[in-house]
Amino acid sequence: MIRFRMMPLVIRQVTRHRTRTLLTAGGVATSMFLFVAVQAMQNGVAMATETSAADTTLVVYREDRYCPFTSRLPQYYLRDILTIQGVESAVPMKVVVSNCRASLDVVTFRGVPSEEFSGDYAARMTLIDGDLQQWRRRSDAALVGETLAARRGLKIGDRFDAAGVITYVAAIISSHEPQDQNVAYVHLDFLQQTTDRKLGTVTQFNIKVQSPKYLDSVARAVDERFASAEYPTSTRPEKAFVAQAAADMIELIGFTRWLGWGCLAAVLALVGNAIVLGVQDRIREHAVLQTLGYNSFLIQRLIVTESLLLGLLGGVLGAGLAVGVLQWGQFALTADGVSIPFAAGWTLILFGVGLSVLLGVVAGLVPAWQAARRPITTCFRAV
Amino acid sequence: MALIECRELTKEYRRGENVIRPLQELDLEVEAGAFLALMGPSGSGKTTLLNLIAGIDQPTRGELIIDGEDVGKLSRSRLAAWRADYIGYVFQLYNLVPVLTAYENVELPLLLHPIKRRERHERVATALELVGLADRHDHYPRQLSGGQEQRVAIARAIVADPRIIVADEPTGDLDKPAAHAIMNLLTRLNQELGKTMIMVTHDAHTAEYAARTLHLDKGRLVESGAHIAAGAAMEAAS
Ligand SMILES: Nc1ncnc2c1ncn2[C@@H]1O[C@H](COP(=O)(O)OP(=O)(O)OP(=O)(O)O)[C@@H](O)[C@H]1O
Ligand SMILES: [Mg+2]
Repeated sequence: MIRFRMMPLVIRQVTRHRTRTLLTAGGVATSMFLFVAVQAMQNGVAMATETSAADTTLVVYREDRYCPFTSRLPQYYLRDILTIQGVESAVPMKVVVSNCRASLDVVTFRGVPSEEFSGDYAARMTLIDGDLQQWRRRSDAALVGETLAARRGLKIGDRFDAAGVITYVAAIISSHEPQDQNVAYVHLDFLQQTTDRKLGTVTQFNIKVQSPKYLDSVARAVDERFASAEYPTSTRPEKAFVAQAAADMIELIGFTRWLGWGCLAAVLALVGNAIVLGVQDRIREHAVLQTLGYNSFLIQRLIVTESLLLGLLGGVLGAGLAVGVLQWGQFALTADGVSIPFAAGWTLILFGVGLSVLLGVVAGLVPAWQAARRPITTCFRAV
Repeated sequence: MALIECRELTKEYRRGENVIRPLQELDLEVEAGAFLALMGPSGSGKTTLLNLIAGIDQPTRGELIIDGEDVGKLSRSRLAAWRADYIGYVFQLYNLVPVLTAYENVELPLLLHPIKRRERHERVATALELVGLADRHDHYPRQLSGGQEQRVAIARAIVADPRIIVADEPTGDLDKPAAHAIMNLLTRLNQELGKTMIMVTHDAHTAEYAARTLHLDKGRLVESGAHIAAGAAMEAAS
């Protein structure tokens, strides 16, 4: 935008009023911090609820029930489910949460039978630490999702107590599925015994279909099969299930979008204000530069570069800090046994910084235009 | 042909019904290498004329031909480029950029040209040496006296090697010795480097440094003549 040799000139202007610059950059950083956090939640919702073309997982839940405490299905449904055409495998699952309300630090246990679990279902996960054999051998062993492990600081061999369930951390796994990242997998019979002693009862079945094209037909077939049974079912793709189970939370998160827009508006106002003040202070200086032969377009670019730098400074601080905090905290909003993670990574930093720079540029345009429009001689007479 | 030719040069400002005419159909020729002083009462249009010649203002009517080009008809951006080539402006109140050092202030006009850092450095150093402030290159304006500030401003005005230097009351804010030093400097620029010099002043003694003095009154020239005293003033001063 401007020649490199002119950069020192702009930087001098940015550092000229140190307090003003720090306040502006601080304000921008705070706004961008909030914006990035909001964006991380929005991204998390998208990740957890938007079905992609390659998804092959269905969740069978009790009809008209939306929470793991009330969804009860007989474990023997498994036999029937496995006979449906298009089903590759199915895992009965009992879900126990440490906290019924929506919270940032819910521990979700998923009890699964070890024999079913080891096959297809486990294929979507990668072992990052520990030993699957040990998980299989020990009845109280837990296979902990990466996010949960990071949040609770869990290591292999730790004892881990939540919701009255005491388990032993045997392995830590990572998965593309947000739901796996934030749970602890334990043995089904162990979980049944340590919680409500309802052997033979599970919360849900997770079905893997042979290919994405079977999602609909299998879901329909399952629900038809149990329609007139004592416990009818409702079957949906995993992400649609999450969207349904976390509907209230998602609505709230959707509302925070406004907060995000507000933050961006604040950035615009902050940088705009700083630049307007700076430009007013320097009416005469700009006239001097123009007298020396700087044309008005160059003056405009100098001013816009200055506001770009303010946006950049605040953006790097705010977005960097936000992603740092979110990475470190590994937060996830959990309700009713499903989690919405804060999805914050490099791309979000880049997005935040890019947006902040863009807003910086936009904020500088009007003051720059005004500064360059003023006739030179009136600038000298003005002071 | 003269370097600067004004023909029926007129500047008007309109304020509602009122028309203010700081310059009225002024005719003037300035030869290359001349040293011209402009005098006249306050409000007589001296600064207005200087600003037109410097290309930071544009005439309402008439022609302003400098080096064969009608400057009054250049577009805003062409005019800016023209200024960078032709004009060095020295202000009464120096107008240095306060956050830049003496060196950086002098460097400003050179940043417009694609010249190497090293050459830029040499030219700034030469200009500062010429005004006798090589040792003050890293001082900020607030660390300099008025006379020194004005010398930095002169270095800035000549660093890009313009043909014309305009100065609006360059000694108006200085005491006698400092004013004398500035005038000696401007005289050297005129005599040794051949810069065409146009200077506005209120002070008859300062005007004596110029080879020619013109008097303006109500936007018109009232008399003109060659000044023989210029050399004498130089001698007396030294
Ligand atoms: N932008 C403007 N709008 C209206 N009138 C103006 C404007 N600029 C200058 N004038 C008027 O033009 C006249 C000449 O002004 P100019 O500055 O050229 O005078 P001057 O001879 O330099 O005076 P001084 O010695 O006080 O500096 C003055 O009456 C001034 O008020
Ligand atoms: Mg004046």
